[in-house]
Amino acid sequence: MVTIKINGRKVKAAEGSTILENAQKLKIDIPTLCYHGDLSPFGACRLCTVEVKTNGKWQLAASCSTPVEDGMEINTESENVRESRRQAAALLYYRYPTTVAVRNMAEKLGVAVSDEAVDGHDCILCGLCVRTCREVVGVSALTFIDRGKGRDMEEPQIGFDPAACIGCGSCAWVCPTGYVTMESTGDKRIIWNKVFKMVPCAVCGKHFAPEDQLRYISRKTGVPFSELTTCVDCR
Amino acid sequence: MNNFVFSSWNGKIVDNRKGKSPKSGHVKLPALLGNAPVAALMGWNGLVVNNAKADVVSLTLGYLRAIRKISCGECSVCMIGIDRLIDILVHMMDGKAAAADLKEMETVVKQVSLNSKCSFGQSALFPVLDAVKYYKADFIALAKGEKKLAEKDYSSVVTAPCIDACPAGVDIPGYIELVKNNKFGESLDLIRQDCILPGVVGRVCTHPCEDACVRKDMDESLAIRLLKRAAADADLREGGSALKGPVAEKDEKIAVIGAGPAGLAAAYNLRALGYGVTVFESLPHAGGMAAVGIPDYRLPTDILAHEINLIKRTGVEIKLNVRVDELNVKDLRKQGYKAVFIAVGAHQGNRMGVEGEDAGYDGYVDGVDLLRDLNLGRTITPRNRVLIVGGGNVALDCARSCARLGFKDVTILYRRSRVEMPASDEEIEGALEEGITITYLAAPVKIVAKEGTVTGVECVKMKLGKPDESGRRRPTPVKGSTFTVTTDMIIAAIGQRPDLPAVKGKDAIDVTDWGTIKADPGTCMTSIPGVFAGGDCVTGPATLIEALDMGNRVARSIDCYLQGSNPEERVSFAEVDLKAQRGRGFVVREAAGNVDCMAVGTRLEGFAEIEGGFDAAGAMEEAQRCLRCYRVVVWE
Repeated sequence: MVTIKINGRKVKAAEGSTILENAQKLKIDIPTLCYHGDLSPFGACRLCTVEVKTNGKWQLAASCSTPVEDGMEINTESENVRESRRQAAALLYYRYPTTVAVRNMAEKLGVAVSDEAVDGHDCILCGLCVRTCREVVGVSALTFIDRGKGRDMEEPQIGFDPAACIGCGSCAWVCPTGYVTMESTGDKRIIWNKVFKMVPCAVCGKHFAPEDQLRYISRKTGVPFSELTTCVDCR
Repeated sequence: MNNFVFSSWNGKIVDNRKGKSPKSGHVKLPALLGNAPVAALMGWNGLVVNNAKADVVSLTLGYLRAIRKISCGECSVCMIGIDRLIDILVHMMDGKAAAADLKEMETVVKQVSLNSKCSFGQSALFPVLDAVKYYKADFIALAKGEKKLAEKDYSSVVTAPCIDACPAGVDIPGYIELVKNNKFGESLDLIRQDCILPGVVGRVCTHPCEDACVRKDMDESLAIRLLKRAAADADLREGGSALKGPVAEKDEKIAVIGAGPAGLAAAYNLRALGYGVTVFESLPHAGGMAAVGIPDYRLPTDILAHEINLIKRTGVEIKLNVRVDELNVKDLRKQGYKAVFIAVGAHQGNRMGVEGEDAGYDGYVDGVDLLRDLNLGRTITPRNRVLIVGGGNVALDCARSCARLGFKDVTILYRRSRVEMPASDEEIEGALEEGITITYLAAPVKIVAKEGTVTGVECVKMKLGKPDESGRRRPTPVKGSTFTVTTDMIIAAIGQRPDLPAVKGKDAIDVTDWGTIKADPGTCMTSIPGVFAGGDCVTGPATLIEALDMGNRVARSIDCYLQGSNPEERVSFAEVDLKAQRGRGFVVREAAGNVDCMAVGTRLEGFAEIEGGFDAAGAMEEAQRCLRCYRVVVWE
């Protein structure tokens, strides 16, 4: 355990834990768009910014990806912190003015948001789907395609590998803006424009999971495919 | 570039627009294309104006457009911030609120700099702030419609401390980023653009990039070499992808003499341009020093063989066991070769200049000969004691190989101290772990032999004087300090020089006093038109990555020669502090990832590779540490 000081309050913190984790434990509200407790931190939305005192100087740091150190001083509510969050939210709102999740966040952080009725669902490149696909599902069908020297594509985006996708739908579930959609009708499921064949439950006949997903589970666990064709309700 | 009108380089403001006597700030700027006149320049570290009439507002737009291409788009503030700045600038003419626009530009720059994830985002926008602050009148003139914003085609260059330190200029942050995003294949494609032996270089490179890494001053350099290896190994695990072949064939054929790294790099790049390429190699294996100069425990044979095979599969013909003893350009031309590239390396050991060296004693061996014999599978019978003279990687390779061959007592004799030792730290530490003794500050003076067999070496103690031309302190003998070391074998490993029968023929090429081939530093052409030279036979013994770079350059140069075009000039950042940046955000301290290494005991049992590589997850985690210190400079 190490001792840290959050907003003037001395607390014990687990070694290797992040500032955000400790703040959440203390019920300190820190806004996030790209964070999920079960996934590795990404530090992309820059909304969870806090101030950290290093070498006697306060510096902004992303709380989701900054581990605590013994004696660390943290301020989650300073004027600098508020202004930085507000500006990050303002830029996100500037880029995605119709995306509801972004508008709500911007409004909460003090950005003047227009009152027109909109219902947008843009991808804000938070990377939650990419990380879920790799770290939780384990297939890496989604990857970031970003830019850099010699890779000057117009916009960064999420790349989809149809051959690797098992149609589990975790990305749609985790997406904070509703950009990733999943459509399930009868024996079909469509996600990222790929059509999956759904397997009917051996007992009730309801189409409950994509065949690719059950085959993947069978491969990973060694349980025969035939034993996986019963839905949760009938098991 | 010292008589400027304005400079904010490094954040130091020198403004000569109003002053009486112009001040020249002592700023080191990129030597852009030699002495080409630069009217104004905007780079990550500031704005420099040389010509009072330069259009700073349009240059700012040009710079923003250039950095937008480098902003990866992962963290929200950087790319959107740059877009916001471009939008404000482009629409400034329409609006009336110039003051509010300029204020907002300032806010965006500050927020992006304070809150970006990587070094690029933290540093790239400062010059925009300088422009807005010190050329405010120009921006207001734009808003009033008195000035027009021009979309000009500016010259620009992108580098990074690591890229600049890499002799081959590999886009290091680029391939690391692709590894981070689980795109190992694309990462390898990017590496291969400048480095055709990624698996080899990923194992044995001296990695000057890691010394230049900005993280080195904070916690630990990125494990750049191992990340390159990770990209190559991932590809190998999937069966090995093919290299890009030529898009269209060309009629001309080119002869390459020597299948070492320089020869291979030139051969592949020329082949990719569509030329027919034949490589003549005197040894039974291709690879040059990578094949016969580096022991297997550092570079397994199959890694090199695989990468050479890929080159062969693009259509490069490699003729083994063909020694070009005499260069006959006319004959080669008659055979249809329009250009020749000499890359015969430096495979002959230097003489130590001590008594008994030329007596032909049993037990006196040259270091490069020993390594060659070892790599070609010839038997080397271990003796009890061996003394290796030298402090470079060849000396270390010999010593560590001897320890594996079963020599009981392995000692390295070096005339200077550890600090001056040219061998890499990893090698020295590895040798010490393996029980090898290093005697510093001593040099041989005479080889002692009995009945034609080496029995010992007479040595003298050395002391260090003033630095010599190499920058290292010059060793001088200590009077009356002679001592004798008993040994059964002595290995001379004090440097190599080219063995140049190839240039002694009818068409004698100019050589230097050092016994290396004279070649134009820009084009690599020798004194005979159409005959080029590169690699160790020109530079003297150098690193693998330097040889690859020369091979790459020679390929471009030969192409220009045959097509009658001019080679592109490289922008030099010599003397520019690429690590310097005006804003540095909070960086989480994190040590570099580790890979498994074979235990010392097991190591000495044979020549199996010592170092393990990162697995995919480990590589992605390490790649995460990259600060992405891209530096962009735009000028007109």
